Amino acid sequence: MSYLFRKLAQTNPKNRIHDAQIFVISCRKLSIVPSLYDGEQDPAPKFFSSNVQVMLKRLTRPDYNKVFRKRTNQGLTILKTPSYKFLTNEELEVELANAKKKAEKLLQMPPVVKIQKHIDDVLSKDPALIGYDTAKYLFTDITFGVANEHRFIIERDPDGILRSCDHDVRKRLNQTYFPMNGRKLREPLMFTDQEKLYSLLDREKYEFVLDRACVQYEPDEPSYQKITSITYQHIDTLSKYELLRSTRHFGPLVFYLTWHQSIDNLILELLQNSAVRDAVLLTALRQDLHGDVVNGESLPSLVHQVLATPIQLTKPECLTEEDIQLDSKCLKCIEKYIKTNSSMKSQQELALQGFRENYKQLIELSRGLQKAHGKA
Amino acid sequence: MATKILTLGNILSRPINFLLKQNNVNSNLKTNFSTTTVACVNFFNKLPAEKLWKSVTSVSNAGAKKGRGKGAGRIRIRDLNRGQVIGVGKVNILWPGLSAPVIRGRELLRQQRLPEDPERLEKLIKIRDSMIKFRRLKLSPIERGWSGSKLPGRSIGPPDKIGEDEFTGFDTKVLQLRALLIMKGSLGRTRNYQAMVVTGNGQGLAGFGFGKAKEAPAALRKAKNRAGQKLMHFEIYNGHTINHDFYTAFGKTKIFVQKKNEGYGLVCHRAIKEICQAIGIKDLRAKVEGSNNLQHLVKAFFIGLLQQKTHQQLAEEKKLHLVEYKSENAYFPKVIASPSEVRTKEQIPKDETLDFTQYVMNDKVILKKKKFPRFYESMPHYKIFLRKYEKYRNHEKIRLNLKVEYGEVKSFLTDKYPEKNEQEA
Amino acid sequence: MSLPPASGTGRYFARAAKSIRLIRHGCTNRPFFHISVTQRKRTNAQPVIEQLGSYDPMPNVNNEKLVALNLERIKYWLGKGAHVSTPVAELFGLAGFFPIHPRSYMTAWRNRRTERENLAKLENEKAKETTA
Repeated sequence: MSYLFRKLAQTNPKNRIHDAQIFVISCRKLSIVPSLYDGEQDPAPKFFSSNVQVMLKRLTRPDYNKVFRKRTNQGLTILKTPSYKFLTNEELEVELANAKKKAEKLLQMPPVVKIQKHIDDVLSKDPALIGYDTAKYLFTDITFGVANEHRFIIERDPDGILRSCDHDVRKRLNQTYFPMNGRKLREPLMFTDQEKLYSLLDREKYEFVLDRACVQYEPDEPSYQKITSITYQHIDTLSKYELLRSTRHFGPLVFYLTWHQSIDNLILELLQNSAVRDAVLLTALRQDLHGDVVNGESLPSLVHQVLATPIQLTKPECLTEEDIQLDSKCLKCIEKYIKTNSSMKSQQELALQGFRENYKQLIELSRGLQKAHGKA
Repeated sequence: MATKILTLGNILSRPINFLLKQNNVNSNLKTNFSTTTVACVNFFNKLPAEKLWKSVTSVSNAGAKKGRGKGAGRIRIRDLNRGQVIGVGKVNILWPGLSAPVIRGRELLRQQRLPEDPERLEKLIKIRDSMIKFRRLKLSPIERGWSGSKLPGRSIGPPDKIGEDEFTGFDTKVLQLRALLIMKGSLGRTRNYQAMVVTGNGQGLAGFGFGKAKEAPAALRKAKNRAGQKLMHFEIYNGHTINHDFYTAFGKTKIFVQKKNEGYGLVCHRAIKEICQAIGIKDLRAKVEGSNNLQHLVKAFFIGLLQQKTHQQLAEEKKLHLVEYKSENAYFPKVIASPSEVRTKEQIPKDETLDFTQYVMNDKVILKKKKFPRFYESMPHYKIFLRKYEKYRNHEKIRLNLKVEYGEVKSFLTDKYPEKNEQEA
Repeated sequence: MSLPPASGTGRYFARAAKSIRLIRHGCTNRPFFHISVTQRKRTNAQPVIEQLGSYDPMPNVNNEKLVALNLERIKYWLGKGAHVSTPVAELFGLAGFFPIHPRSYMTAWRNRRTERENLAKLENEKAKETTA
C-alpha cells in the first residue's frame, strides 16, 4: 500500500485531488495521500538555516504552562510531593532562565530531512563460499562509544558476497544490541494498520502519534515521513493547529505546509485569531522557501520588527502607538498577499475584515485609556 | 453433649425391652406387659435436671478460687428441649385442637397422618445447638469502626439541629469512648462515660467535642452536639492537602505533619485520619512522637492545623518569593506568592533559615530511621533462589510478547520443528 | 551447573597464553555463544578475562545468524598475541576481518559436493522411473 502511495505522490502531484477522490470511493479511511520529502530539493539546509528556525520557533508560540504540563508518558508511576523554595529576585531570574533553557530543549524540533537512499555497497565477492551456509551472517561492530549511524554493520550472504547492510537491517541490529527506550523491534500496529492510525487521528491524538513516530523511526525513513505527512494533513483539513502549538511538532508542521504550498488554511486560522504578525511571519517563511511572494523584498525588515516584540499568547487588551504602527504595516502586507498569492481569498478577506473592525475598537479604547491617564 | 445424653438413653432402654420380650416368649403367658420399674431407673431419670446440670457445671470451692468455670471454657446450662412443641413428634400427625385448629375455614379438621419430614431431627438439633456459641454483634465493613463493633472510629451521624439550623453534609466520628470509675462514699464505685468525637462536612469545616454522662449514648450525644457548636474552618490546599509541613505539640505529644502529593493518602494515626476525613484533607503524612495520649493528640493536631500560614503570609514574613517545583511539570519554577517588597541577597543575615521545610517545621527535623535489608536477604536459600530464577527473569515478558505477536506462546521455530506427537497425530 | 559471569572476573596473568574462543551459554537445545578471551589453559566453564562478542548459531525469523564483535578489543588482544580458535577465526574470516579460513572453503566445497550428489541421485532415480 505504501508503495502505491509513494508512486501516486511522485507521478501526479497536480491531480492529487482526483486520485484522492477515487480512494474515497474505495475506502473512506485512505482519503489522505501522504507526500514525502523525496523531490530533487533537500529540505534540510532550508530547515536548519537560522532565520527559518527562528521563525518556526516564534510561530510555535511557546506557552510555558503547556510546555511544562503534566504528561502521561513521563514514566512517573506516582506523583511526587512538590518542593518549595524562598528565592530573591536574582535567584528567581536565574531559575526562570534555566527553565527557559529546559523549554528550548523540550521544544527542539524533530529534523526535517530528505528521504534516505538505499545502501548498496559490495565489500567483497567470494564465489568459493557458495554453499557454506543457507543463512545470512550479520556482523555488528559493538565497539564502545560508536554512534549508531557510524557503526559497522555488514552481512555475508549465502552466495559469498560481503556487503554493507541496508537501513532497515541496520536499524534492527542497532535496536537489538543498543536498545533505544520506547523503540520496538517490530513496527507498532498503530503505524502499520491504517485503520488504527486513522482512528487515533480522528480522536485528535496528534501529539501522541507524532511523539511515538519520533521514537520509533529515524527522520529520514519513508514510514516516518508518511505518518507525519498524514497527521499534518489531517490537522490541516480540520484546522486543529492549536493542539500542536507549544509543542515541538508545530515547527515541522508549518514547514511541511509551507514546503507543500498549502499554508492558506493556517493563515486563515491566524487571521481569525487576530495573529496578524504570525501571518506575516508565515508569508516570510514562504518567501524564504519558495521566493514566490509578491514584494517579498520588504518582508525581512518587517519580520525583524515583529521578532523584536514579545510573544503574544493572548489577545492584547491595550495597545501602544508602536504596536498600532507595526500592526498596520502587517495588515497592509497581508492584504497584498491575499490579493495576489492566496487561493482562499474570500474567506481570508472576510476574516481580515472582522479583525480590522475589532482592531479599530481596540485602538479607540486604548487611546481613550491613555487620554484618561493623561499620557497622550 | 446433649446428643450424647440422648444416645445414652437409647442404648440403656434397648436391652431391657429385649429382655422383656425373651421373658414373654419363655413363660408363654397371655399378658405381655411388665410392671417392674427397676430396669428403667438410672442415673439420668433418678435425679432432677437441676441436679444433673449442677453436677456438670459446678466448680469446687478451691477451683473457683483458682478461676475455673469462667471465660471461654465455661459450661452453661442449656435448654435441651428447645424448638420442641407439644403435639409435634417424630411421626408427623395432625392433631386438631393441639397442633392445628379444629376448624379451618368451613372444614372440620380430622386427625390424620401427614407425610414425614426427613429433616426434622436435623432442624431440631440445629435449633438446640444454635445457642452454644456466644456471638458478637457483627457489623458490615462500612459501618465498622477501628476495632470490631467497638464505638471508636464509628460514625454516629450529624449533630442534632439547633432550632432551624440543620447540619447538612456533616458526619460525626467517635474518637474515644471510655468509662471513668469514681469511688463515692455512699455509692461505692460509680461509672461515668466520657466520649470524644469529631464532626465535619469534608469541605473545611470541622470541630471536636467532649461529653460526659452516666450512660455511653448520652455521653456520645453530648459530645456530638458540643462538637457541632465548636466548628473551625481550615484552608485545604488545592482541595487535597495542607498548606505546608508543620510541627505541633500538646503536652508530651509531638506531631510532625508533612504535606503530600495527590494520591498519597492519609498515612498517620487513626484518630488523625478520622479528623482529616472530617475536614476533607486527602493526602498527608503525620508522625507522632512522645506520648500517644489520644486527647492530647487530637488537640495538638487541631492546634497545628490552626497555626498554619498561607503562602502569602510566609512570603511576606520572609520578604522573599515563594516558588513551587513539581516533578510532573518538569520542575518549572512557579511563583505562588510574592511579597510587596523583596529583600536582596545582601539583606539576608548569614544564619537565617532559608530552607522552606526547615522554616515551616520550626527547625524541627523528623527522625528518619535506617532501613535494614529484609531478614531473608542474608540467608543462603535466598541466594540459591536468586541464582535459580535468574534464567527465568525475562520469561514472563517474552511470553507476553509472543502472545501479542502470534496470539499464543509459540515462535517461528514452532512451525519449523513441530512436536513429535503432533506429527503422529 | 551455574555458569561463570559473562565477562570480567577471570584472573589475569600477563604472560600466560590467551585464547579467543567461543564459550557456550544458552540452555539445552538452544546454543548461544560468547566470543571471549580467556587463559588458554582454562576450561570453558571457568571465568573468562573479557567478553569480546557473541554469536547466535540459530537463524532468526529472517534466516539470519547474528554475530557481534567488539573489534576494538579484539584488535587489542590480537596485539597481545592471543590465539584465535578455529570457529572464531572462521567467523572473523566471514566478517572480512581475517582472510577467509581454509575450513570455511572446505565446508563450502563439501556442502556443494553433497548437494551435487543429491541432485545426481535424484536425476538418476527420475531417469529410472521414466525408463521403467
